[in-house]
Amino acid sequence: MNRVRERNESAWLLPAGPGINHRLRDDMRIFDDSDEVDVVIVGCGAGGSTMAQRLARAGWSVVAMDAGPFWDPEKDWVSDEAGSHHLYWTEPRVIGGADPVPLGSNNSGRGVGGSMIHYAGYAPRFHPSDFRIHSTDGVGADWPLEYNDLKPYYADIEEELPVAGDDWPWGDPHSYPQRPHPVSGNGDMFLRGALACGITAKVGPVAISNGRFGNRPHCIYRGFCLQGCKVNAKASPLITHIPDALAHGAEVRADSMVTRIEVDEHTGKATGVHYNRRGRQRFQQAKTVVVAGYSIETPRLLLNSTSTRFPEGLCNDFDLVGRYLMVQGAPQTAGRFDDEVRMFKAPPPEVSTEEFYETDPSKDYKRGFSIQTVSPLPITWAEHVAAQGHWGAGLRQYMSDYVHWSCLGALCEFLPLPENRVVLSSELDRHGLPVAQFNYSRCENDRALMKAAQSVMEEMLKAAGADEVITINRYAHLVGGARMGADEHSGVVDGDCRSFAVPNLYITDGSVLPTEGSANPALTIMAIAARVADRMSTGNHATQGGRS
Amino acid sequence: MSSLPLDPSAGGGRFPGFDVMGQEKHWDEVTSAVVVSRLGMPPDIRFFNAAEEATATALCDQLLDQREPPRVPVVNMVDARLAEDQTDGWHYEGMAPDGQSWRDSLSALDEDAMAHSGCAFAEAAWETQTAILQAVQDLGSEDWHGIPASRVWSLWTRYACTAFYSHPWAWEEIGFAGPAYPRGYKNIGVNKLEPFEVADAHPAQDPLRKGTS
Repeated sequence: MNRVRERNESAWLLPAGPGINHRLRDDMRIFDDSDEVDVVIVGCGAGGSTMAQRLARAGWSVVAMDAGPFWDPEKDWVSDEAGSHHLYWTEPRVIGGADPVPLGSNNSGRGVGGSMIHYAGYAPRFHPSDFRIHSTDGVGADWPLEYNDLKPYYADIEEELPVAGDDWPWGDPHSYPQRPHPVSGNGDMFLRGALACGITAKVGPVAISNGRFGNRPHCIYRGFCLQGCKVNAKASPLITHIPDALAHGAEVRADSMVTRIEVDEHTGKATGVHYNRRGRQRFQQAKTVVVAGYSIETPRLLLNSTSTRFPEGLCNDFDLVGRYLMVQGAPQTAGRFDDEVRMFKAPPPEVSTEEFYETDPSKDYKRGFSIQTVSPLPITWAEHVAAQGHWGAGLRQYMSDYVHWSCLGALCEFLPLPENRVVLSSELDRHGLPVAQFNYSRCENDRALMKAAQSVMEEMLKAAGADEVITINRYAHLVGGARMGADEHSGVVDGDCRSFAVPNLYITDGSVLPTEGSANPALTIMAIAARVADRMSTGNHATQGGRS
Repeated sequence: MSSLPLDPSAGGGRFPGFDVMGQEKHWDEVTSAVVVSRLGMPPDIRFFNAAEEATATALCDQLLDQREPPRVPVVNMVDARLAEDQTDGWHYEGMAPDGQSWRDSLSALDEDAMAHSGCAFAEAAWETQTAILQAVQDLGSEDWHGIPASRVWSLWTRYACTAFYSHPWAWEEIGFAGPAYPRGYKNIGVNKLEPFEVADAHPAQDPLRKGTS
């Protein structure tokens, strides 16, 4: 057995080729609501699934709930853009602020695997500088962690996904377990442009298997990564962590919407979660509660969990829940070539540069951006074209030119601002619960970064030979909303993701990130969760709930 | 295989003989079922009332320049999503959820048409409809009937484009082969085609270089 398999056997528990291990699901251990399990986890995305796998391996009794389905990729997913709508969180939500951020397909998943079912697959690490931008740049916040605290967990998760890419020269230089994938027309244009501009570009890092991994097959370059990978080549917790969790006795309870966390008024400890399953209100007892519902639903759940002790919402004594929510500025610039690029062939995530990631003292803005290939399919491409003002005959003509376009996207590090937050709306969902309202407004630094990123992308595409470039301004990736901090005045949870207010309540999803870097967040969320689980299960951290 | 009427000068006929459905035998069954259903009888109108259906039809025909049959049944596809409350998962503060916003904006279009030419939007001449819509788009972030015009415009175009560009006829017009599972692609790279792909017959017909095709 190799080292990865000793740590996480998921890839070997899947059938050879596509599909799921039906046996593993049929034989899944089922707990009663009245069983006081060691831990109940709310949300089976990047953070929740990693926790479930690690804690189940450590011998904890685990119930992991998700509001959405327990997917069977062969039956539930299609190789089609419009037909993949059910992968997104489309329960009602309200968006406000000066720069409202669309949710749903843009950044919100549902079901076991979470948003990693429909993420592109980029899996970069954060840079060491990300953990102390307040000290070094005077903006944002410092983390209560250092890069080195996460480094071993980054390496572990990179092996488990696994990640393919060139040797990485940026941040803390490192290599990847798998070699880089071959590039398609879009990746080629990126590399040509970067070379001509003197910008270092690298292939990867993508969590898409380049070669057989366990029983998981090689990528087939069909280009539908954002619609859920039917091949089992692209990593998501559904195939990278859930199988091993099941094999170690965890229960995944899908279609279960957690509506409130119960806290004992006398002991001050969480006792379990109220949830709605198939229309019935139920309560699961647990010694420890782990919330991993991501940046909108985690704050919403806390704000909806009011009690005498917590009249403004659980863990919200200092009005921090829902605040400092961030998105990355994600301008998308496309260039037109007489050659046929056919960017829809091959995975959208191929090539990236982190050359502009760090603060450049010669610029009048702080922090930076990364640039990556993105390869919109027709519907998303139509949105890009329509954003230029084209409609009717003009839109049809522009769209007929699809095969000639290459498309790049930036991730700009937006700063955490207190007024960018989730609040409860007066609108109710079908459970009668207030829905989340997400207010967002950019600051001057954010706008400057988007402009700078756009001009670099335009320059690259023109250097590659594009005769025209067009840009659409969008936003990507949610993080923050229940951030970690050094104390209860600066964060909802501490560096071990334990809430300051309730000793046996943890939050292990993207909402704990104090800053976002210019990196896609999935790998960092998983690494944080793996670290927390490690500390909970080895007793490095004095858990007050925990294993019986 | 039917194809949409689009004049070569407007981007039509760029991929002669390209046949998306001819590849259906290479798709997985679940995907096939979803795509094939778009070619069958369109879903009955359930969400829009008759007046709204008329206005929405005229609006969608304008947005996608579908002047004559055969057409992608955009309005039926939009109606089906609204009937099933299959939203994008958000709506703007101060703007109703998508279904109500569609109803409100369709009735506002009729008001504009009534003021402009004394008839409902659907009864107005094609050029009149175009002018009314252009006026809405030109407002940008300014209010149109109490809502920022750009947000209404985004609602219309998001739903209409999602419907239109999910249809195999539209894919043929743009050279997109549709589903690619379980076969995948073997020839990736600039100017590389699969045997079933068709090269653009008018590669210099760049919409940005008018008159060069």
